[in-house]
Amino acid sequence: MKRVGIPQGLFYYYYYPLWKVFFTFLGAEVVKSSPTSKKTVDIGVNLAVDEACFPIKVYYGHVSDLLKKDVDYIFVPRFISIETRSYICPKFMGLPDMIKAGIKELPEIIDMTVDLSRTDKGFKQEILKTGSFFTNNKKKIKEAYNYALEEYKRFGELVRQGYTRQEAIKVWEGEEVFLSEKADLNIGVLGHGYSLYDDFISMSIVKRLRDMGAKVHLPEHIKGEDIEKEAASLPKRVFWTLGRKMVGSAFYMDKNSDIDGIIYVACFGCGPDSLIGEVIERKVKKPFMLLTVDEHTGEGGIVTRLEAFCDMLIRRRKLSESNISCYG
Amino acid sequence: MICYLGVDIGSVSSNFVLIDQTGKLKKKVYIRTQGNPVKAIKEGYLMLKEGEGIEFEIRGVGTTGSGRHLASILLGADVVKNEITAHAVAASCLYPEVKTIIEIGGQDSKIIILDRGIVTDFAMNTVCAAGTGSFLDQQAARLNIPIEEFGRKAVLSSQPVRIAGRCGVFAESDMIHKQQMGYPVEDILMGLCEALVRNYMNNVAKGKRIEELVVFQGGVAANIGLRKAFENFLEMKINVPEHYNVMGAIGAAVLAKEYIEQKRIKTAFKGEEFILEGEFVSKSFECGGCPNLCEVVCIKRDDKPLAYWGDRCRRWETSLNKGDRRNLKVV
Repeated sequence: MKRVGIPQGLFYYYYYPLWKVFFTFLGAEVVKSSPTSKKTVDIGVNLAVDEACFPIKVYYGHVSDLLKKDVDYIFVPRFISIETRSYICPKFMGLPDMIKAGIKELPEIIDMTVDLSRTDKGFKQEILKTGSFFTNNKKKIKEAYNYALEEYKRFGELVRQGYTRQEAIKVWEGEEVFLSEKADLNIGVLGHGYSLYDDFISMSIVKRLRDMGAKVHLPEHIKGEDIEKEAASLPKRVFWTLGRKMVGSAFYMDKNSDIDGIIYVACFGCGPDSLIGEVIERKVKKPFMLLTVDEHTGEGGIVTRLEAFCDMLIRRRKLSESNISCYG
Repeated sequence: MICYLGVDIGSVSSNFVLIDQTGKLKKKVYIRTQGNPVKAIKEGYLMLKEGEGIEFEIRGVGTTGSGRHLASILLGADVVKNEITAHAVAASCLYPEVKTIIEIGGQDSKIIILDRGIVTDFAMNTVCAAGTGSFLDQQAARLNIPIEEFGRKAVLSSQPVRIAGRCGVFAESDMIHKQQMGYPVEDILMGLCEALVRNYMNNVAKGKRIEELVVFQGGVAANIGLRKAFENFLEMKINVPEHYNVMGAIGAAVLAKEYIEQKRIKTAFKGEEFILEGEFVSKSFECGGCPNLCEVVCIKRDDKPLAYWGDRCRRWETSLNKGDRRNLKVV
């Protein structure tokens, strides 16, 4: 049986169930890299080009981790666009090439181009090409993809139930994840999924907030059409898929009276973040905090800011309970 | 005399205050942490109880600053609070009308916006520590000027030079260049103050509406050059409280006082002997439990472990008996 390695980084958080089912259906064994650890980061930072953003560097570490796991292939998709007229950050476009240039002695890379910016014609070819690594039976490949899509939808439903993407993957794989219902605060947390849901990169921000007694609201918990509607209020359409989701979610949360405050987790080296964060900060009227994460592992700074933010929200509420609006 | 202890262990300085039941400051100690918070806590406590023959009875302890958890282990704290809340509480006790707090410390700078004594917005410097106390310290040392003289020299300037404030490294090379050109030292110093204010306004206070009354606190508030630069920039009066350098500690003490009085409980303070007579050692080791290889710190008193931290999974943190760890829980 052929073994396909999937690095636990970047779009893993968005598409892992789809990929896993697709490859498994075609008779391959799917192996994922270990969760991000200090070692992944050390290796990744060493291998990657300096200008790349932190999640990309971490991805290098994951690919490198798979080398030890005796895999026949590593799946490194090339994401260009996942919907019409919108794009994924250009770093993803060059990802398979960057990986091939940066890491020696790789097994064969399954490099699949995902570009739905105009039509899905080419995409169907890409699926067949990817499947052909395992079988020549086109019908079976199509079947595998349809089956994978079903599972992907099921995963999408899980994501909407209050889990983070990482937790939803766990639930999808059959693990139990407990969500506490009790919460004093409701905080909206935004960020690129691959940094926000990676416990190492984000220093477990979601978990920390929950420990502080907050219920965390994520873009995944909001209906797609609501996000699009809010995002459309900007004079120019945001053409980054993930960026637009964050803008729309932020505006939606800003209007939703249940949400006490919004936190945006940005990566230091991320181009879109530097713009999207700014747009949100200017437009949002609710308490807003921008947290920048990068290579640092000192958690003090993050903890202080999160604590202060929660403190502020609780104290503000006291002020508004005395019947005075505090939303300037 | 009944009093409450507030401790602020920062990156550069460690501050200790005692306030009485009315919230009045009775005693303060400001020392440099010098990279050894354990020693600083011991020394600071010793200095606090030295001097006049008044007997203090500590009813409550509050800790803040980046070393707040460490301090709470050594002293036994009732309240462990982040710096932002502590600073805001202290300032609004002194100035009930305060709307804006500018706080610049050793490694961080922050702006706190208040409405009727309650924090409604805040921001801290993100990835860059340019324009904080340690940068000023460094530059003063390079120019061979005692940091205490810095501000006084700077205000003598009549024509401040323009210095790039976006980045500490840029500022430094700009300063060196201007020095080599022969500009007087005071003009360079004032130029640096103005650059720092610009940096603060563009990075930390970005997009915030600054309204009067403005309070400037933190160790850097000692620098009258910077105070003047802020006044010029904002065209507002800048208030510097008398005890500007220990405001965090005052806030922690006030919070401890409120907490103890409200809950009517006995303090968790471990007592003088505990802090003064024990030998505290901190050791760090790399945990091999998983590939994270966390750097775990262990604080020991006379070879008995008091606390662990730094482990992501908390297996060390929770390995000690839970009762003692209650103090670490952030309230």
